[in-house]
Amino acid sequence: MSRGNPTSSSLTPTDDALIAAIRGGDERALAHLYRLHWPMVSHFVLQNSGTEDDAQDVYQEGVMVFYEKVRDGSLELSCQIKTYLYAVCRRLWLKRLTSKSRFGVRLLDDEEHGPYLNTGAEEDVLAAEEQDRRFATMSEALDHLGEPCRSLLEGFYLLDKSMQDLTAEFGYTNADNAKNQKYKCLVRLKKLFFAHYKEEPI
Amino acid sequence: MMTEADYYALFEAYSHGELAGPARANLEARLAADPALALRYADFSEMTDTLRGYGQRQQARQQLRGIHAAMLAADAPEEITLPATGLTHTVHPMLRISRTERRLREFWNGHRATVGVAASVAIMAVFATLLGLDLWKTSHLPVPASYQALRRDINSLKKNQKVLNNTIQRIDGSVTPLAPVRKFSGTGFALTSEGYIVTSYHVIQGGDSLLIEGRNHQRYHAEPVYSDIKHDLAILRITDKKFTGFGRLPYAVKSGQADLGERVFTLGYPREDVVYGEGSLSARSGFEGDTAFYQVSIPVNPGNSGGPLMDERGNLIGVVSGRQNDAQSAAFATKSSYLVRLVDSLEAAKPANPYRLPRFGQLAGTGRPQQLKKLQDYVFVVKVFE
Repeated sequence: MSRGNPTSSSLTPTDDALIAAIRGGDERALAHLYRLHWPMVSHFVLQNSGTEDDAQDVYQEGVMVFYEKVRDGSLELSCQIKTYLYAVCRRLWLKRLTSKSRFGVRLLDDEEHGPYLNTGAEEDVLAAEEQDRRFATMSEALDHLGEPCRSLLEGFYLLDKSMQDLTAEFGYTNADNAKNQKYKCLVRLKKLFFAHYKEEPI
Repeated sequence: MMTEADYYALFEAYSHGELAGPARANLEARLAADPALALRYADFSEMTDTLRGYGQRQQARQQLRGIHAAMLAADAPEEITLPATGLTHTVHPMLRISRTERRLREFWNGHRATVGVAASVAIMAVFATLLGLDLWKTSHLPVPASYQALRRDINSLKKNQKVLNNTIQRIDGSVTPLAPVRKFSGTGFALTSEGYIVTSYHVIQGGDSLLIEGRNHQRYHAEPVYSDIKHDLAILRITDKKFTGFGRLPYAVKSGQADLGERVFTLGYPREDVVYGEGSLSARSGFEGDTAFYQVSIPVNPGNSGGPLMDERGNLIGVVSGRQNDAQSAAFATKSSYLVRLVDSLEAAKPANPYRLPRFGQLAGTGRPQQLKKLQDYVFVVKVFE
């Protein structure tokens, strides 16, 4: 059966090269990919009563799902990138539309983008939503954390600053002090984070 | 006793691979043995992973935004030159659509279907109203108040009383009531010997059953053949099987116009008996200057409508149609030339029964009583039932 090794059979060489380049952190490859499929998604959203802004939001969200999966190395693509992106963006936009509209939503699909079902996009979008929720909780927890803990943790984890820089920035006498402070902050963050994250059912 | 912060320091060192061999083995053993510690470690790694992932996502988002802006900028290079107008900030290419326009576009995109349906309903409503008004107008031609069409509303008072009586009886609980029948009457006269009869259109207007009644009480059923609403003319045909024909008609239909001041007369049934009326042709146009009509100075009454208007020599010159209420003795009659024209146009359509208009009159030169004696056999009551 041809399903045995779908990756090599249905992916074009440029797709493979693109994924490899993006995984390697090549920003030009990402930009190329982004530019390549933007017209398709923008057309789809505009056709289904969306605006240019909606299209941008949906597309960035969709590319983000793709990008994070590529970077994790957890992407299992059984179709072209184009189809995958279309399926993901379609799912995202459908979700937004149904939340906005009182009526049932029917989407106008571009036939040429073919079988957008069974691309694995559905599960990926769900996983991404779970991830979104986690990040949203984290952001909220950080907001509740208060200074200087918040800046310290953001500096270390989000902005990738070194402990030395942070020590200087926050005026600690040495790196060990800063580190201790960081751990204390982590403990507080943990309480906030898990309190919010676990008590919120989907 | 280690605080939670101390554990975190340990965990961080462990996950970065900074722990030396024995310490690492020690920790791994404790993680395997102590579920509470394992849970604590899992929480720690989940939190730090989430933090890192969150940071990465923010970076990636920033990156994508940059890519998008760059892409838009590349797509619309002419917009980039805008800062030359003296603006200190950069102009975002998306701003070329004004806020109002964007809102309008959103509205249009969201409500396109609704707007379309509403518009088509509105258009249909407008056209239906116009059409309906037009139909209504043509069916209820506005008759000026001072103009009275002369058909006779027979016994409507009596009928009403009868209906009232019926209602009273019904309240008593006895017989079923009769359906109220409205009855009108006018005058008509023979057009051809084969059984075509002319009357005014307004006499038969709205009727569904026509009865022709002669002087000696012969009765015929008739049906309308053609109506000329504009000139108030109607042609009927006798439908009875036993009807054989009128014989030769004593009068001719004049196709030209009559002259001003001619002595004219009419016969009609404003009441049960035939009534003679005499006068002269006082104008060659009718009510409000309508040139299809004559004005004559004959006293006419409801019921005279459809009666023949004859000149002195006994030629048919018109069909009595109405009178003006606010003028003394001003009656109107359709010119016979319109009747001739109407018959000609019907003849052109090759009907089953051809129209043979009488060509020569036999009334000329005789005295008026003799003329009337011959004429009255061809003048009928037209009874109309609604």
